[in-house]
Amino acid sequence: MQEEILNLKNQAMAQIMSVNDASELEEIRIDLLGRNGKLTNLVKKIKEVDPEERAQVGNTLNEAKRTIETLLAQQKNNLKESAREWFDPTIPGILPKVGHLHPVTQAIREITNVFTGIGFRRVRYPEVEWDYFAFESLNMPEGHPARDEWETFFVDVPENKKYGKVVLTPHTSNGQVREMLRLKNPPIRMINIAKCYRRQSDVSHVPMFHQFEGLVIDKNISIVNLKGTLDYFARSFFGENRKTRLRPFHFQFTEPSFEIDISCGFCGGAGCRLCKAGWLELGGAGIVHPNVLKAGKIDPKIYSGFAFGWGVERSFMMKSGLSIPDVRLIYSTDLRFLSQF
Amino acid sequence: MDIKIPDSWLREYLSTKATPSKIAEALSLSGPSVEKIEKVGGDSVYHIEITTNRIDAVSVYGIAREAAAILPRFKIPAKFKRLTKPSKNYNFVPKVSYLSAEVDQALCPRFAAVLIKNVSVGPSPDFIKDRLEKAGVRAINSVVDISNYIMLGLGQPVHTFDYDKIMGAKMVLRQSKNGEKITTLDGKSFTLPGGDIVIEDGKGRLIDLAGVMGGNLSMVTESTKNVLLFVQTYNPAFIRKTSMSLAQRTLASTIFEKGIDPELVADAILAGVELFENVCKATSESEILNIHPKPYKAREISLNYDEITKKLGVEIPKSEISGILSSLEFETSWTGGKLGVIPPSFRNGDVLIPEDVIEEVARIYGYYKLPSKLMDGELPDYPQDRRFEFEEKLKNILAGFGGCEIYTLSLVSKDYVVDGALKLKNPLGSDSEYLRTSLMPSMVSAAKENVSQESFHLFEVSNSYIPRAGDLSEEKLTLAGIFKGYGYRDAKGILEAFFLRLHVENEFRAEDMGGFAASKSAAVFSKGRKIGKIGITEEGYIYYEFGVEEIYKLADREITYKEISKYPSQVEDITFNFPDKTRMGDVCRFISSLDDSIGSVDYVGSYANAHTINVKFHSDKKTLTDADVEVIRKRLISSVKTKFGGMVKG
Repeated sequence: MQEEILNLKNQAMAQIMSVNDASELEEIRIDLLGRNGKLTNLVKKIKEVDPEERAQVGNTLNEAKRTIETLLAQQKNNLKESAREWFDPTIPGILPKVGHLHPVTQAIREITNVFTGIGFRRVRYPEVEWDYFAFESLNMPEGHPARDEWETFFVDVPENKKYGKVVLTPHTSNGQVREMLRLKNPPIRMINIAKCYRRQSDVSHVPMFHQFEGLVIDKNISIVNLKGTLDYFARSFFGENRKTRLRPFHFQFTEPSFEIDISCGFCGGAGCRLCKAGWLELGGAGIVHPNVLKAGKIDPKIYSGFAFGWGVERSFMMKSGLSIPDVRLIYSTDLRFLSQF
Repeated sequence: MDIKIPDSWLREYLSTKATPSKIAEALSLSGPSVEKIEKVGGDSVYHIEITTNRIDAVSVYGIAREAAAILPRFKIPAKFKRLTKPSKNYNFVPKVSYLSAEVDQALCPRFAAVLIKNVSVGPSPDFIKDRLEKAGVRAINSVVDISNYIMLGLGQPVHTFDYDKIMGAKMVLRQSKNGEKITTLDGKSFTLPGGDIVIEDGKGRLIDLAGVMGGNLSMVTESTKNVLLFVQTYNPAFIRKTSMSLAQRTLASTIFEKGIDPELVADAILAGVELFENVCKATSESEILNIHPKPYKAREISLNYDEITKKLGVEIPKSEISGILSSLEFETSWTGGKLGVIPPSFRNGDVLIPEDVIEEVARIYGYYKLPSKLMDGELPDYPQDRRFEFEEKLKNILAGFGGCEIYTLSLVSKDYVVDGALKLKNPLGSDSEYLRTSLMPSMVSAAKENVSQESFHLFEVSNSYIPRAGDLSEEKLTLAGIFKGYGYRDAKGILEAFFLRLHVENEFRAEDMGGFAASKSAAVFSKGRKIGKIGITEEGYIYYEFGVEEIYKLADREITYKEISKYPSQVEDITFNFPDKTRMGDVCRFISSLDDSIGSVDYVGSYANAHTINVKFHSDKKTLTDADVEVIRKRLISSVKTKFGGMVKG
């Protein structure tokens, strides 16, 4: 049998080498390796071989099969273009309907992923909100000038004795005291992402927008931890090389309060026409004011915390480097705009 | 609020070699933020944002004081040049001969005034005009300019009266009564709501809307001879209430409403007297009226060294803490680990608690110098709310089937809401006056906006706001979508596939739902509960709407595995002729429920009244024989005939 195999192999090799046609090669393949091929039949007969020689014959058979297959493939590739089977891999495909997620949804997903990765829990609190949670409990009593920063919409319903007027929340900070009251005991790591409303509409303001608010409360929470969190966000969301810095600012509900800058992604911090000496304003942050902790029934003698927050749309635009001349365009429903994302 | 400060003016109070850009950088990192530097002539003008708590820095003098504390931390020598004592001697006295004043202390903690005689009103000298104009204030005449110059320079608003127009040389500072009228310097007339701080003269006329704007009855003009220079601090809440309710926002009122340092009154009036004598060749009385029954008292704040370290996250030596605070003119004393701090009068209003002191230490030490490190400690042990992930899944599925997500404004016009919807008190316009009660009108209008597109599927996941008496509204998270250019079967198929992906059973029952063309809508049920609706709008769009919470609760998040059947199925198409108006959804559902051995029922299509239905016969217990199938098929055909009048074709 050994000899039979070698003869068949040599014969096949000679045959394959002399062929220049794809269909002839296929015939040879079937003749040898098909279901009833010559080589296939030899394989079937291996059971009849003397057990002592069986391994040897098996090896020869396998080697012959492999040689023939390789040669067939090689010869097929050597054939001239004209002799091959024609196929056009460049023909335009037929597209299914392509859907799109809104850029705000995409940004919210990324922001959520960054923070849940370091133990934050995502929450959502009312958009139509009591004055108490939007302002009063945040150390901003009625009539406080700091309230002017928030161009607030008021809802025409009767006041509540305990919680005051009804407003459209102008920031996600309304979640701070709500989250404290809900959880009662630190550690708290909250990321609150929600719609907010301000009474302004121009090329850089939309009356409805989205904010995200981080709140961390535990023992020994410091400015160093806030910086760590913001840097972690900047590197994860905007890119490995981005840095943040804090500058003094004022919010009634944090003390100290900061404005956060992020190093400019275009000039790498060298300074360019898009940034202020290498930095771009990102948002606000601070160490939670003891009055706010008290409003949330958390003892400021034991616990401290930080909070930060800013716009989802702004983050998205800064990240993608999108230069949209009018932010209101983000809320356009024009498919010619939306299908670009 | 934003202020503009010319560099040349700043250096009157600040001695340093720092360049304007260096000053701007250092201030921004450790103090008030310099938004930009504008070049005007050969000068640099700083645009500075003053936060509501730092009203002490709202002036050239205040910024110089900050810069002198901050620059040395950047290794740049700097010195604050304080105001010098006036050349003449002046006495601050509670009573003067030239003016009798009755002052309500609750409204005006410090009241100061001085008579300046023989004033010549004319153009101001160039340096005053130049500085004012760079600071963004128009120069008018020497008297008005001196007022503005003091306000911008020192941060203390001052007012000047034509002394001879104050009848009876008498002033009564009191609360206004409802309905009283006053005309201010800008010619605007106001009927006062009451509770505003006003000044009445000896004839009972209102001559000042105090802290907001002077009255025109006592206005200084070109012919004014004698001026009463008037410097006060007011109860901030009153000033704010008046300026907000009358919409009369002036720089003076914006400063007063933040509550300013009463000690500044003396500096300001002396600076004013000096300027009047020099610029207007006038003579001042040497007795200055000063009604200030409760003088400033220093107040000590005490805190622990540990508190500072804990909030900062790093240890700063005690001596450095004291050094920082004294550079800001705070007095400090250490008793072991306890720090006593007395803020200067000009910070008395904003540095009240230990955290305020910590902020001062931290910002001057330099936030940029603090390390950056994620918090350690326990992680929260409660799980994530899976609704957010679910919401994302809904959106992904629909986008995967070709849907395009949109966000539309929650605020809509009256035509878009049902009765009782929440209304805004101060909308931007009538097109955004109400909180929407349904997403439908917004979706239809979005579809209309895309008039040039032949076919699309838009969807949105947002709240509808359902009013609840005595409580906040119910914010009902809703999934809504709209199709154009899709056949009804294609659109409904997308929703069926959507529910298939979510493992939510669904049944579409023909029902007239509001907002759709007559008879062209269905209610969608799952496990006996209504979860949404679909239909064709009057405009011809296909619209659907589901409650997200309802789907979330139904979505089968734990999928049960069913063993793959060992037995083959028999599949066949059966075509029936049905009477007109037979609902095919009902027919298919009916057939599936007929027998356990009917595995699945799919609607294939129709030609005229002939409808083809694909039926799979299958049992999990055995291989169905032809005879078994024959029995079930017969039953199927006769039941369909009895129930729907459908006759098998051919």
